[in-house]
Amino acid sequence: MFKRLLIITLVYSSLFGQVEFGGYVRSYVGLRTGGDQEYAIIQNTLDLTLEGGSGSVSYFANPTIYQSPGSELDFDLSEIYLDMYFNNTDIRIGRQQIIWGKGDGVFITDIVSPKDLSEFLLADFDEIRTGITALKLNQYIGDQTFEFVYIPTFTASVFADTSSIWSRTPTFPVPITTDYSEKDIPATLENSEVFAKFSGILPFMDYEIMAGYMWDDDPSMHITPTFYGSPPALTEVTLAPQHHRLSVGGGSFSTELAGMVLRGEGAYYQGKQFLALNAMSYPIDLIEKDYFHYLLGLDFSIGSTRFSTQFIQQAIMGYDDMIVQEDAMNTLTFLTNRTFLRETLTAQLFAYVGLNKSDALIRPTLSYDLADGFEILGGANIFVKDADIADGDDPGQFGYYDDNDMLYMKVKYSF
Amino acid sequence: MKNFRLISTILILVGTLLGQPPSGLEIIENTYNRPTSKTLEANLSMILENSRGDQRVREIKQFTKEFGGVEKKLMVFLKPNDIKNTTFMNWSFEDGSEDQWIYLPALKKVKRISSDSNSDYFMGSDFTYDDLGDRHPSEDTHKVTGEATIDGHECYVVESIPVDEEYMYSKTITWVIKDKWIGYKKEFYDEDEALLKQLSLVNYAEHGEIIVLTEVKMNNVQNDHSTIMRLSDVEVNKDIADNMFTERMMKRGLR
Repeated sequence: MFKRLLIITLVYSSLFGQVEFGGYVRSYVGLRTGGDQEYAIIQNTLDLTLEGGSGSVSYFANPTIYQSPGSELDFDLSEIYLDMYFNNTDIRIGRQQIIWGKGDGVFITDIVSPKDLSEFLLADFDEIRTGITALKLNQYIGDQTFEFVYIPTFTASVFADTSSIWSRTPTFPVPITTDYSEKDIPATLENSEVFAKFSGILPFMDYEIMAGYMWDDDPSMHITPTFYGSPPALTEVTLAPQHHRLSVGGGSFSTELAGMVLRGEGAYYQGKQFLALNAMSYPIDLIEKDYFHYLLGLDFSIGSTRFSTQFIQQAIMGYDDMIVQEDAMNTLTFLTNRTFLRETLTAQLFAYVGLNKSDALIRPTLSYDLADGFEILGGANIFVKDADIADGDDPGQFGYYDDNDMLYMKVKYSF
Repeated sequence: MKNFRLISTILILVGTLLGQPPSGLEIIENTYNRPTSKTLEANLSMILENSRGDQRVREIKQFTKEFGGVEKKLMVFLKPNDIKNTTFMNWSFEDGSEDQWIYLPALKKVKRISSDSNSDYFMGSDFTYDDLGDRHPSEDTHKVTGEATIDGHECYVVESIPVDEEYMYSKTITWVIKDKWIGYKKEFYDEDEALLKQLSLVNYAEHGEIIVLTEVKMNNVQNDHSTIMRLSDVEVNKDIADNMFTERMMKRGLR
C-alpha cells in the first residue's frame, strides 16, 4: 500500500510539477573489528523529501526506504505534516519531529520526540528521533515564541530487538519470561501528552523554558520473581515493560562570552521509576523518585579548529541506597572538528565519556566532498570499558558494547 | 550619520577647492559612509574556481534590513543540495558587536554561534567573514599613496594598516573611484607583507543615490584560487517584514 502510494505521488508530482523534491541516496557499510569481523550493517537508503504549498499553507513528507541484503525493504515515514501560517501564529498538524534544548547529543529537555535507539546512539541526528503525530501551535511575540504541543497518542522510543548487537536486556541466572501485555498505552484522551515552551532569541542570550506532562519514553521493567523451595530460591523471573507518567519542567540558555558560546540546559523530572534491589539483593524492585538532569557546555575555536564540550549530570533526589543506579551519573561529551581543502575535507572527533564507570564511546570520522552534494565518510566507533570492572558488574552504557567496535563507511549523494 | 556624511563631503570639497587632496581617512570614511539602502533583498551566487578551472557553485537568498542601529541579515542557502535550507542570521550592532545563529535542517534547531570567527573563510570561498563585512575606518590607519587611472576610472590609492597588530592582514591597498566613493580594486597582504589576495569590482548597479556592488571577484594569488560573488534580482528599500529576521523564519526558510 505504502509503495503504491509513494509511486502514485512520485508520478503525479513528476507530471504536474507541484512538488519540490529533495533527499539523498546513501550506502552504509559497518564492520565489527572484534570476533569474527562480521558486518554489523550493510544498508542502502533512499530518503525523499517532498514539499509544496502556496501562500499560507504548505505540506512536507519524508518517506525513507531502507534496503539490506537478505531482508525485506523497510519503509519509514518519519515526517508527514501540514503547515498553516497566520500573521503571528503557525500551526503544524501531522507526524513530525520536534527538537528542543541547547544540548548536543543529550536528551534533557529534548524529550518531545522519542528516540530510535535500534543502533544505540550511532544513527545520524535526523534518524535518531522518531516522528510523533501531534498538533503544534506557535505564537510569536516579537523575537519570542510560545509553543504548545498536543500529542494524542503516545509513541515510545524504539530499542534494538533481541537479535541485534545493540540489544540490552537484564540478565538473571534463571529463565526469563517477557510479558508485553501492559506495554502499550491505549489511545485515549486521558493518555495524551502535552508540552509547552516559551523561548526567545535575544541580543546576547537565547533561552527556553519548558514543561511537559508525558509518558516516560523508556519503559520501566516490572520484574516478578518466582521462588521455589525452602529456603526459597529464585527459579524464574517475568519481565513486564511498562511506561509511566512523568511531569517535567526545565529550560535552557546559550550566550556568547569572550568569543565562546556558553550553553546550559536542565530539567526536573517527577515520577521516574528506578530499578532497585529487593530484600534478597535481587535487582527486581522499582522505586519512584524525582531526578534532576542538567548540562553545561562550552563551544570555542582555537585557530580554525572548533571545540565543543559538555558536562552532564543526572542526580536522583532523596536517593535510596537500594536503587541500582548511582545517585549521580556524570558524563562528558567532547567534540572537535576542522575542515581542510576549502571545507571539502572534514576531520572530526566526538566522544561520550562516562565518569562513573570510566567507559567511553569515541567516534573519529573523516569526510570528503567529492563533488557538491556527494560525500564519502569513513569512521570508527570505539567502545571503551574499564579494565578493572569485574565480570557481572555494570560496565556502563558505553562499556557494555565493548565488543561492538566498528569501522564504517557511508557514501551519500544529496539531491 | 547623515550629518557626519555631509560634514565629510563638505570638508573634502573644501579641501579639493583649496587644491588639497582628501586624506586617506577621509576617503575611507566616505567609502564607509556611502548611502546604503534600508533594506536589500537579492540572490547571491558564489562561484569558486580552482587553478584547474573546476567550479563549485553556492546559491543563497539574502535579506538585509536596518533597524535603527542594528543591521539584521538572513541568508537562506539553496545550493548545493546537502546544505539546502540551512539558514544563517546575523545581527550587527553599532558598537561593532554581533550575534549570529545558524539553523541546520538535519538538527532542526537554531544554534547560537560565536561571532569571533571573522578570519574564517566563508563557505570555502576566498572571502573571510571580515572581508564580507563593513570594516570600520577607525580599525586601520590610512594614508594616500597616490592617484591612478584604471579602466578609465580615476582613483585614489589608499594604504590601510590595521591598528590591531594581530589582524590577519598586515596591510591593504584600495583603489577608490573618485566621484563615486567605491572601491574598484583592493589588495590584501599577509603577515609577511606578501600579496595574498586581489579583490576586483566587476559590476555595480545604481539605484538612485544608492550603489550596489553586484559582482566582485576575489583572487587568491598565492594558491591560484578565485571566488566570484554575483548578486541578481536586487531589490533595494523593499518593504521586508520585521519578522523576517527571527527564529521563526530561520526554521521556515523560503516556505
